[in-house]
Amino acid sequence: MKVPAIRSIKAITALLVLLIAGLGTTDAGWIKQTKLGGRSFRRPARVQRFERPALRRGPRYAADRVLVRFKPDVTDAYAEGLLRSYGFTSVRLIPRIGVYSVRTSPGASVAETLAMLRRNGDIEQARPDYRARLTDTPNDEFFVRYQYNLRNRGGILDISPGLQFPMTAGADIKAAPAWDAAMGDPEVVIAILDSGVDMTHPDLAAKIVSPGRDFANDDDDATDDNWHGTHVAGIAAADSDNTEGIAGVARNCKILPVKVTADDGNGYYSWIIDGIIWATDNGADVINLSLGGDFDDPFLEDACEYAFDRGVVVVAAAGNDYGASVVYPAAYDGYVLAVVATDFNDQTADFSSSGPQVDVGAPGVYILGPAPQWYVGEGYLPYVFASGTSQAAPHVSGMAALIKSLKPELEPADIMKIIRYTADDVNASVDRGRDNHIGYGRINMERALVPYILK
Amino acid sequence: MTKRSGRGWRLLSLGIALALASEYAPAAESKIKTFMAGLNFDHFSRTIVWDGDTGPSRIRASLVSARADLGFGKGLTLSLYAGLSLTGFDGLAFGTLPIALEFDASAMKGLVLGAELESHLLNYRNFEIKAAGRFVSSFGMSKTWPLEGFAVDGEAKGRSNWMEASAGPRVAYIFSDMFVPYLEVNIRWLRADFRMEETLDDLVGLETKRVKGDLSFGVALGGDARVSDRLTIKAKAGFVPRSGGADALFSVGLLYAF
Repeated sequence: MKVPAIRSIKAITALLVLLIAGLGTTDAGWIKQTKLGGRSFRRPARVQRFERPALRRGPRYAADRVLVRFKPDVTDAYAEGLLRSYGFTSVRLIPRIGVYSVRTSPGASVAETLAMLRRNGDIEQARPDYRARLTDTPNDEFFVRYQYNLRNRGGILDISPGLQFPMTAGADIKAAPAWDAAMGDPEVVIAILDSGVDMTHPDLAAKIVSPGRDFANDDDDATDDNWHGTHVAGIAAADSDNTEGIAGVARNCKILPVKVTADDGNGYYSWIIDGIIWATDNGADVINLSLGGDFDDPFLEDACEYAFDRGVVVVAAAGNDYGASVVYPAAYDGYVLAVVATDFNDQTADFSSSGPQVDVGAPGVYILGPAPQWYVGEGYLPYVFASGTSQAAPHVSGMAALIKSLKPELEPADIMKIIRYTADDVNASVDRGRDNHIGYGRINMERALVPYILK
Repeated sequence: MTKRSGRGWRLLSLGIALALASEYAPAAESKIKTFMAGLNFDHFSRTIVWDGDTGPSRIRASLVSARADLGFGKGLTLSLYAGLSLTGFDGLAFGTLPIALEFDASAMKGLVLGAELESHLLNYRNFEIKAAGRFVSSFGMSKTWPLEGFAVDGEAKGRSNWMEASAGPRVAYIFSDMFVPYLEVNIRWLRADFRMEETLDDLVGLETKRVKGDLSFGVALGGDARVSDRLTIKAKAGFVPRSGGADALFSVGLLYAF
């Protein structure tokens, strides 16, 4: 194929240094987590875990049963006789609280039965028999305290004495309710194209599908010699409910490490192109690119198209340069989801790049994630806080993996639209609808994954 | 696939109804011995597992129809129905749409056509044994719901169709000319589909839920009561046993003899 001269020049020029260290963290930098217990430690054994299927669905209440409580002056004998007079086939008293569990008449819906019972003056309350579930909150050590990005209950994000921030309840991606619908299929793989992944990290070791591929050193060991890729991988799909560290967005999905930057965090477009194609050909369902460069390059776009055409959802960080344009490959609008960062108050991060290619926002300010032990040093837990659109992108990759888990037949274009159209327009008060700063809004996993009730 | 099968189903059901009617049409002019017309109300529930679902959900249908009973003598009667249906779908979920939908809405309207054939088999003392077969089909009207809370405008549009056929013996006790009670046992076959189309801006999804042929057995007690020379009430009530409970059926008709 003939390549125009100008393209060749651009391609050579495109051997730029990818400042992913700069992309991955803001001026605030990363923080050694000294408050998480001082010394690092390992738990000798895991506590009891709930084993549950990846997908759970069902009606919200029993289809043939209601609960009834009579007024205090009604005797049990009268109450039971009254209920039987309605033709209920089974009437059972829960004695300590004076509530009857009643099986509805054949052919009668719960709504009809409740309406009928509520018309009776002797009945105090008649209610559906709602379905309950095992609690969804993962037992990961830092989930409740630090992972506002997944579930934000407000209060103070207390990182260290000088780093305390008031948070807005609900400024999160609604991961907890979404996990009720999907926690991810272990067959769904997220490729982390980054500085590699620490495959021995306790929150990641069980999630790695293979040693991956290292295009920076041309070998088959994508071990992280930076820290960035380990952090990003953990946000997307850290081992969850294992009592350690953090919970990942795609709790049951797997990670495919692909190293496309050197130990200094810099890489070439050719490594990224190779990485995208290799990941696509080696089972990736989602590709996360928490990196980017300033130069448009048709070869890089072709690689993104290659992945897209083969059913892979490609997610990339929009860039950490406020006022600047979206970086590449995030700017390839037709094939890649461009992600900006939001904070614990649903404000767009002041470092996020912007532009018409921005699709959605996700939390990217002081996000806790795993890091190699050698990186944090002895005596520290292997976790760091970091900020950047690099941290925002893996939230979206995790969400894409959960959608793919639940609906494997969907094409990447549909998954990208679901992620866009279910977002919360958190800056609607100043810029209603899609805008160049946060796209369609901050992602909302619950809206995307939990069934919408038609009333 | 969906459009073709839906159209085929409607054609099939119309064909069956017409065939039942046309079989006797040539003879109708000369051989109709009795003719009654009136109104009928039917209600039934049916617990089914839609294809691909793991759990059951329930269809509840109420039908109001105009009814004509054509008597051809020798115990052969053809009844034709046409009217409206209201069908509820408890707990139905559309899980493969881009945004999964759970149906918790009011009943869906539809047009209903049906035919029932009753044929005398034998008499034994005061008992009369007949064979009865019935076919009813509901052609649903589409309904649209707005999808709210999304970043773009959206709507869901649904339409449901179903048809039920039943056949079995009917044992009547000739109590008097005025009242004939009967016991009916029948096998009941149900086919249903519910087509749901979802649109969120340029994101479009379509899911069709189907039950290709659910079989069950029903038992009903009924009676035909002549309340005057011209007026007859035909009623029956029964149940369809299923694991963990039973579904219900009920029918009442008021007919005027011409």
